[in-house]
Amino acid sequence: MRRKHLTQCLLVILVITLTGPSWTTQTIAQDTNNPFTSRIDLRMGQRLFQTQCTTCHGLNATGGNEGIGPDLTTGRFRHADTDVGLYRVIRNGVRGTAMIGLGAEPPDQSIWQLVTYLHSLSSTADDPGGSPVIGRQLFNGKGNCNRCHMVNGEGGRLGPDLSFVGERRRPSELLADLVNPDDEVSPRWWTMKVSGLDGRQFEGLRMHEDTFTFRIMDADENLRSFEKYGPWSYERIQSSTMPNYTQSLTPEERNNLVAYLFSLRRDR
Amino acid sequence: MTLTRLIIFALLLTLGRPTTAQPTAEPESPAVFSPVTWERLLNAGSEPHNWLMYNGTLDSKRFSQLDQIDTSTVASLKLKWAHHIPQLDRAETTPLVVDGVMFITESPSNVVAVDAITGRPFWRYDHPLPDDLRICCGRNNRGVAILGETLYMSTLDAHLVAIDGRSGSLLWNQEVADHRSGYSKTAAPLIVKDRVVTGIAGGEYGIRGFLDAYDADTGEREWRTYTIPGPDHPDNRTWAGDSWRTGGSPTWITGSYDPELNLVYWGTGNPGPDWNGDVRQGDNLYADSVLALNGDTGEMSWYFQFTPHDVHDWDAIQIPVLADIELDGETRKAMLWANRNGFYYTLDRETGEFLLGKAFARQTWAEGLDSNGRPIRRPGTFPSQEGTLVAPIAGGATNWWSPAYSPRTGLLYVNAFDGEALFFSREQEYVEGNTFTGGGTETPLAIDNYASAIRAIDPSTGDIKWEFPITPRSRAGVLATAGDVVFSASVDGYFYALDATNGQPLWDIALGGPVHASPMTYAVNGQQFVTMTIGNVVYTFGLDD
Ligand code: HEC
Ligand code: HEC
Repeated sequence: MRRKHLTQCLLVILVITLTGPSWTTQTIAQDTNNPFTSRIDLRMGQRLFQTQCTTCHGLNATGGNEGIGPDLTTGRFRHADTDVGLYRVIRNGVRGTAMIGLGAEPPDQSIWQLVTYLHSLSSTADDPGGSPVIGRQLFNGKGNCNRCHMVNGEGGRLGPDLSFVGERRRPSELLADLVNPDDEVSPRWWTMKVSGLDGRQFEGLRMHEDTFTFRIMDADENLRSFEKYGPWSYERIQSSTMPNYTQSLTPEERNNLVAYLFSLRRDR
Repeated sequence: MTLTRLIIFALLLTLGRPTTAQPTAEPESPAVFSPVTWERLLNAGSEPHNWLMYNGTLDSKRFSQLDQIDTSTVASLKLKWAHHIPQLDRAETTPLVVDGVMFITESPSNVVAVDAITGRPFWRYDHPLPDDLRICCGRNNRGVAILGETLYMSTLDAHLVAIDGRSGSLLWNQEVADHRSGYSKTAAPLIVKDRVVTGIAGGEYGIRGFLDAYDADTGEREWRTYTIPGPDHPDNRTWAGDSWRTGGSPTWITGSYDPELNLVYWGTGNPGPDWNGDVRQGDNLYADSVLALNGDTGEMSWYFQFTPHDVHDWDAIQIPVLADIELDGETRKAMLWANRNGFYYTLDRETGEFLLGKAFARQTWAEGLDSNGRPIRRPGTFPSQEGTLVAPIAGGATNWWSPAYSPRTGLLYVNAFDGEALFFSREQEYVEGNTFTGGGTETPLAIDNYASAIRAIDPSTGDIKWEFPITPRSRAGVLATAGDVVFSASVDGYFYALDATNGQPLWDIALGGPVHASPMTYAVNGQQFVTMTIGNVVYTFGLDD
């Protein structure tokens, strides 16, 4: 799989190199996949976008102030239907417009990372098509998600604030959050366990840890601070405290939740 | 810190029984969350291990009942921890401490919650800011207010935000004014019952000042009182023509509250443009005044204007210190006020009546105060094309940094500056969102020619009981404690302690950075700490364990 991607990408380079500076489009297969779609690629793409593209397309890619560059977050592009199409626009530009394109200089990886970033902006990218209204009811009702999660100031503190989660997670990732909570748990949400204090035990979410001390929020949402070294022991647990919803929610319920979560964004 | 000590440090917001002056280390005590109720704020003085609001208590005495650090022990203070603020801007913060957790605001508009024993962080909130801010004097923030479990903070883009005190989550974000028109917010809000009372900055941008109150739960505005009355009010005629529309009078420091009188007291800043008064003939009410407003409605009960028709930028942006004092054999509900214009005032806080006043620092612009407390101006002191030499400077004989009052000594401790400046006047058109100052100032001699001092003022006479000289300057607030110690700092980076009764120096440490903040004190597990921000570092000192 990996090798295939590499070949495809070599092919792209080859084609581009061959066609010279006035890039044309005919020879690239429509189904070429973007090989650079990881979270790191996304971040690199965002960074590149911020240095190269925001003057015309705006800080959030929603269009320049003076209307120089169009909104790139709608999920639809005039000049491209596919990743390859986007790749070409970014590399070659749009002829006869201010969209000059990055040219032959930047490595392939950078262009693909920009494509990945542009995809992450579009709201319709991989929406499973659930109902945000029903999702919201589930979130505060049967799902009991608000016990741990805050949305716009309402809810618990035993999980991340989800007020703007739609800005940082795509629908497919949100779905994964529900069925694979133990994947990539951010260190902020690890658990610290302290024992050996005259038989007493403390346990809580890891708010902050340094060389000599750490701080937790316990199940009652109290903040506590501990020294590491002394006649007691502590343990760091890197799995998630969030339940796995594979069994307790139906696929349809999960889709509705995802639709709701994905709608949690600032107005652009 | 000894390692054998029990390891539980902070039971956040947990041990807050209002009456315990010395909380004990009881890790097994149920960690029941104890919100900072209005009752607790009313009685903040009786839980001195906590520092629950910007000035410690609603009467803004900046006096703490803690006395472990006293005149005999203060000399052995040791550094306990330091917290570095990541931004290099001025740090003007006064932290709050609630049951072992300290809330520190950082430039530009951020807040961090740290363990008050170690200074290590629990969480932080970084406020996103637009890049077209209008700020005259640095990216400052002076502190938060707390009610229940929620912190309230002013932001430089002129918003008021509510932040969850346990997690740092944003609860609501309310626009107070449009930052593009020159408005910004820097001061800690004041909680009055279930409202957040908060002011505005922008006196150098031709704003029209106001004081607001917001519902603490929802962020909805409950009242707004303009510091410049509109055309339907007779006092509007103290502004020539339309000059009231751009007359400034901001409210950029925290006020005080008297629960018995239900009055909120708040100082107002300079009229605009600062140095060209020709375009705004008249007294310019209520610039450079203290306002007494009904805590429920914002309706004005009385005002007292310190500097009518100010042309020297002498904001009455000082802390209203509320104290009951003996005057001519009577106990008076007084307000003590050392003003930027060089005069000290004792006012009746029920009526606004002027009781007495006297210069507390070098001033050359007035013969004195008349029987109503109105200054008798000397001729030839207005700013001019070629410059007019006047004392005090635009920055004032004192400024926004907090004074302190000790009921034990009956003295008000003020940071005073005996400087002078050339004041220039220029013509300037108002353009929305641009600075609107109508001139400028310049200090003619090197700063070492002038001096600062901590002055201890007797509010029943206005006399200075003692002074401690500072070379060359200070921009720090003052803290007084029941240990009869007065803490303050100087621009050359000293943090020091004086004997509250006679001004003798008891302890000092050179921390090296410029100072723009005020000290505060608190205790955890029975140990007293004192905290001061110098440079961009928050330092905390205490005695040996
Ligand atoms: C000098 C201004 C400018 C810069 C810089 C710029 N763009 Fe553009 N871009 C435009 C304009 C103008 C268009 C619209 C062209 C047209 O269709 O008229 C455009 C179009 C696009 C499109 C196609 C939109 C569509 O609907 O098909 C994409 C994708 C795009 N730009 C991405 C980028 C990326 C990525 C960068 C940074 C590497 C970038 N642009 C830098 C001005 C700019
Ligand atoms: C017992 C507390 C708890 C409950 C109940 C809970 N979560 Fe979580 N959730 C967490 C924690 C802790 C994390 C962070 C660790 C992780 O990634 O799993 C998290 C992470 C997430 C994330 C990823 C957020 C991000 O910023 O990346 C999403 C989305 C989410 N939860 C949604 C839900 C939904 C929807 C429900 C209800 C069906 C739910 N959670 C119920 C504790 C909980």
